Amino acid sequence: MGAASGGFVHLHTHSPFSFMDGAASIEGLIARAAELEMPALALTDHQGLSGAIRFYTACKAAGIMPLVGCEVVVETAGVAGGEADLPPEARLVTPASVGFGRASASGFHLTLLARDFEGYRNLCRLLSRTHLRGAEVPSVVHLHDLKTFSGGLIGLSGCGNGEAAQAVAAGHAGRASAAIARLSDCFEPGSFYVELVHTLTVHAPRVISGLVRVADDLGLPVVATNDVHYLRARDHRLHDVLSAAGARMALPGPYDRPNGELWLKPASAMRELFSGIERACDATLEIAARCAGFELPLGEFHFPGADIPAGETPYSVLAKESWRGLEHRYRPMTPEAIRRLQHELALIDQMGFPEYFLVVKEIVDFAKRSGIRCSGRGSAGDSIVSYALGITDADPVRHDLLFERFLNPERRQMPDIDVDFDSARRDEIIDFIYRRFGHEHVAMVATVNTTTARSAVRIAARAFGLPIAEVNSLSRHLPWVSARKIREVLESYPECRDHPLHDPRYTPILEIAEQLDHTPTHLGTHLGGFIITREPVASWMPLQWAAKGTVVSQYDKDDIEVLGLVKMDILGLRTHSAISEAVELARARVGEDAVPEPFDLVPDDPRVYEQVSSADTVGMFQLESSGQRNLSTRLKPSRFEDIIAQISLFRPGPLEAEMIVPFIRRRHGLEPVSVPHEGMRAVLGDTYGVIVYQEQVLLVARAVAGFGLAEADSLRRAMTKGRSREEMERIRGHFLERALARGVDAEVAAEVFRQLEGFAAYGFNKAHAACFAVVSYATAWLRTYYPGEFATAILNNEPMGFYTPRLVVNDARRHGIRILPPHINASEARYTVEEAGTAIRVGLRDVHRMTARLLEEIPRERTVRPFCDLTDFLRRTRAEVSATESLIRIGALDGLGITEADRPPTRDELLALLPEVKAVLAREGSAGDDVLCLAPAPVRPAEDASHVSGWSPARRLSAELELVGLSLTDHPLALATADLIARGVTWARDLRELPDRSRVRVCGVRERAQTPRTRSGKRTCFLTLEDPTGLLDVVVFSDTLARAGDVIVKHRAYLIDGTLQNNCERGLAIVANDIKPYVVRTASGSPVRMRRGVPSGPMGPSLGGAGAPEEESWSEVAIAAEERAGWGEGRT
Amino acid sequence: MGRNAAIKRYDATPAGQPLELFDSTRSRRPVIVELLRSPWIVRASEIGRSDGGCATKRVEESVSVEWDAHRQCPLSFTRSDRRYIVDAVIQVWATERRWWDPRRHVSRRFFRVLSQGGVYDLAFDRARGGWLLTGIQD
Repeated sequence: MGAASGGFVHLHTHSPFSFMDGAASIEGLIARAAELEMPALALTDHQGLSGAIRFYTACKAAGIMPLVGCEVVVETAGVAGGEADLPPEARLVTPASVGFGRASASGFHLTLLARDFEGYRNLCRLLSRTHLRGAEVPSVVHLHDLKTFSGGLIGLSGCGNGEAAQAVAAGHAGRASAAIARLSDCFEPGSFYVELVHTLTVHAPRVISGLVRVADDLGLPVVATNDVHYLRARDHRLHDVLSAAGARMALPGPYDRPNGELWLKPASAMRELFSGIERACDATLEIAARCAGFELPLGEFHFPGADIPAGETPYSVLAKESWRGLEHRYRPMTPEAIRRLQHELALIDQMGFPEYFLVVKEIVDFAKRSGIRCSGRGSAGDSIVSYALGITDADPVRHDLLFERFLNPERRQMPDIDVDFDSARRDEIIDFIYRRFGHEHVAMVATVNTTTARSAVRIAARAFGLPIAEVNSLSRHLPWVSARKIREVLESYPECRDHPLHDPRYTPILEIAEQLDHTPTHLGTHLGGFIITREPVASWMPLQWAAKGTVVSQYDKDDIEVLGLVKMDILGLRTHSAISEAVELARARVGEDAVPEPFDLVPDDPRVYEQVSSADTVGMFQLESSGQRNLSTRLKPSRFEDIIAQISLFRPGPLEAEMIVPFIRRRHGLEPVSVPHEGMRAVLGDTYGVIVYQEQVLLVARAVAGFGLAEADSLRRAMTKGRSREEMERIRGHFLERALARGVDAEVAAEVFRQLEGFAAYGFNKAHAACFAVVSYATAWLRTYYPGEFATAILNNEPMGFYTPRLVVNDARRHGIRILPPHINASEARYTVEEAGTAIRVGLRDVHRMTARLLEEIPRERTVRPFCDLTDFLRRTRAEVSATESLIRIGALDGLGITEADRPPTRDELLALLPEVKAVLAREGSAGDDVLCLAPAPVRPAEDASHVSGWSPARRLSAELELVGLSLTDHPLALATADLIARGVTWARDLRELPDRSRVRVCGVRERAQTPRTRSGKRTCFLTLEDPTGLLDVVVFSDTLARAGDVIVKHRAYLIDGTLQNNCERGLAIVANDIKPYVVRTASGSPVRMRRGVPSGPMGPSLGGAGAPEEESWSEVAIAAEERAGWGEGRT
Repeated sequence: MGRNAAIKRYDATPAGQPLELFDSTRSRRPVIVELLRSPWIVRASEIGRSDGGCATKRVEESVSVEWDAHRQCPLSFTRSDRRYIVDAVIQVWATERRWWDPRRHVSRRFFRVLSQGGVYDLAFDRARGGWLLTGIQD
């Protein structure tokens, strides 16, 4: 690639990874460059390399040379000090801030390109050093850093926002010259170019001419770029919208660009723009040629250093540890286990992965040493080495798990072992990793957040300058679909029937939003992904501060895998925290030795299986969702293998392939177990001839066609991913040939292949299910034997699982556990167990407006002596009025104090007294007042004199739901029992007794609504409702959904007429025919709340139990509408 | 000879014509075009006045333009029934502003041309689809 005239390479190109300043997708840029026959293309996003790896691999695949670089903000070079130090007439306008999050900065731009791998590493180091200088320090590249890390880099002086270009434009040629001289001095000789950008403005020729003169004077080469921000001229609108929204401004945004010329122009157009300066275009080819040596070392693995004693090798250590573990796991050790371990160790050694296993083991060992509950999951469960090392807990021999599904020797891929840790103690694990491997060798993995329909509409609407209320109304209530589907959902989804986006004046917003589909908008931090490297992470990838104050890579997990680096998922599982806490609570009550370790239980307790098969599974890991509860009643699990099957069957793949029906029918003898080939009978015996697990695909291929397991896994993968018709035909031919060679009948072989083809893509990883099943059984056992402790532990570790705390509380109450309201003389911050495990006391931390100080103060003061009344409480805790008001309203001061009527004050009286007492206490000490007894202010008479609060049940319930998000007294619909009975409503608990196909009317509060994809492509909604007696599963098929979809979205409680489905084949559910909203009202006519109305306590939704407020309904208008329509309404 | 070749090549002291710099329009035109295209020369008409305007006469007249599809530039334009042959295109630039506001949207491609001794700014209005004469420079 010489400097032959006629060609051109774009050396300054932005992708969406410039975060809100690039509108051309990486794929689009590469495809267009290929179409324009450009030999190379550079990617120079702002302040980072987030798109670099995918750009590199995509360019290689397209046959285009990738030039990796970025555009950084660099400190002022042309004058000493900053702009503010200069006289006004000499100052330049500082460009707007670019980059994302704490890696953003405003200042002059400089373009950098990596000439070779060393240049790439220096670029990573330079960016990391700049971004990590200080969390609050702007990410501006210092010149001395630039000089230090410029090896292997080529520098271009910057676009129109470069200091030199700005200085020339402002008529300060001397400053431009000084800036370029100083910048060029930072680079190796011959590695700095003066960048010329012709943006087709009136002044562009003058700026270019000035820069050429400066370059000529300094003897530096010039190079032409177009500062590409979008693919084609028409896309400038998209870019304007992005940059405006990114700067949180209305259009025209921070740049107010004069035109839309920053597109990927063909070589001819670029050469025409620079017709007098051909050498500037020739230089692009010359730079590309200089960067031809840049290659990322892909296909190699780079493991962090494991702890290997002198004289040992990673393999020898792994082998010793594995054999030791095997001895512990298998008593007695079986020949099969020995054979498998030998086989796996040989393969692991051959593939070069011993160090990886040892690193995972080190982390797991630390967790176990520290008493932190953890469990491995995923395909790692297929390995007996993982099992022997204590990383996973499911026996691969017993469950017929296949190592080749985890590590296929035919495909050398980085192994991925996922381990879940007790989320409450995950920080200790993270702390260990940093200590063990060193802070420079560990970083968190990034996630790339992209637009959905909602965010795309928000971006467009904000850029168009709409008020925030209007922006909210446009984006809310859009389903979670991709932006390109907005029009489709507006037209077809019943809940979007009245959506404001139907208004034609929003058409431009809609058009822009659609084009923003899947645009990266910002970097997030992976929930638990850590990169651990032997060399400092910063020599592999740029690092920056995340919002949380941790160091995060600019690469996501896929990029890291491409680079061959180790990513460990240190995931927090709240179920582990709940299990640990439930065990602790149970042991505190019944004794340390009375409660065994749940993970070590022999999973054969009939009482546990009885509870699972009766669908009484709220809180059970992986078994509690409405679909799983339905499956429980159909499957009737009675052994551990059934739990594994149950976890595997209710997954998108098996559901889509409709595997459940034949599985259930065969299990209950409703249809015979038939397999086309006898070899399959043994392999598929556990699943009644249905291919449920991915491991079974391998076994069938081996049994019928004689495939090796590794070969069979390759076949499975080929059948699973991106199958073209031709590819499938090739695989089929290969399979049939092998089967026929083994004497299998052609028709039989064809039928086996048809079944493999049908199920391979949908099967579930059995190892993953088996690892989960261990945890599921532990939760089921705890729920069976220690329901009070288990529910308390769940509530203390919310949010977790499928249901809200509200439902967990209601479920506990239905199981005879008393729910005690929060009380200042009894409650701790967290939920506690009382009355020998038969009652749960609600903790104070979920009460609205509670402060962290009060949560410590109340229990501490109580240990001195109990609070005797409101004054005593306020005096000793100095509680804020707002928090005290919440406590009074929730009943936490019920029964305290005495009034003149010789009874405790009602809540209304306490509320009336509160400001007076507060005022008196404020004067205490200064005015000498010490008022202990105050006459309560006149308040409205008690609604319910029989209750200490004086409040009616409806009012109490509304306050409970509003302030803690829980219905402590009773289920809200219990207030309307009489009305519901009069309407002929059947309770959830009675449905099981009714015959199949009965017509029923039910009423429930929405807990969950799901619309999973179905094979037919039609929308079906699965509603999980709750009435006072239990859970209701309602299926809303597309025709009913079309009529009632908006009712489902806009309301919380419904009256549903439908047909009962109650048979062993399909389970228990109601098929809805008609759905109407239902409102419970108090005697005064105000609606009783169904949802939390205010945020939780000081811990916030992540730690607080009840979480964030939920919408009661779409709007008051909706309630008014239902009143007009005379829909269901019950008064208490 | 690089940049400004026409100026450098021109013999400023031809024999027998001591007073005239150029012997004909033909010999003068390349030099003028080059001078007009030279970004380092700022014409008096472009210098801003204290009131914010400049000496350029700004107009907004519809004109008809004969388009050279091969060279992608105007060949001639007709103003007040008078046809102006374009001798040279001096500069091209583009404007794209307020596209989100249909009433104030401006989308034009400008051609500064030399025609019959004058410099004119022609603009093709992409939003409305017509040619305009937007400025008379000299």
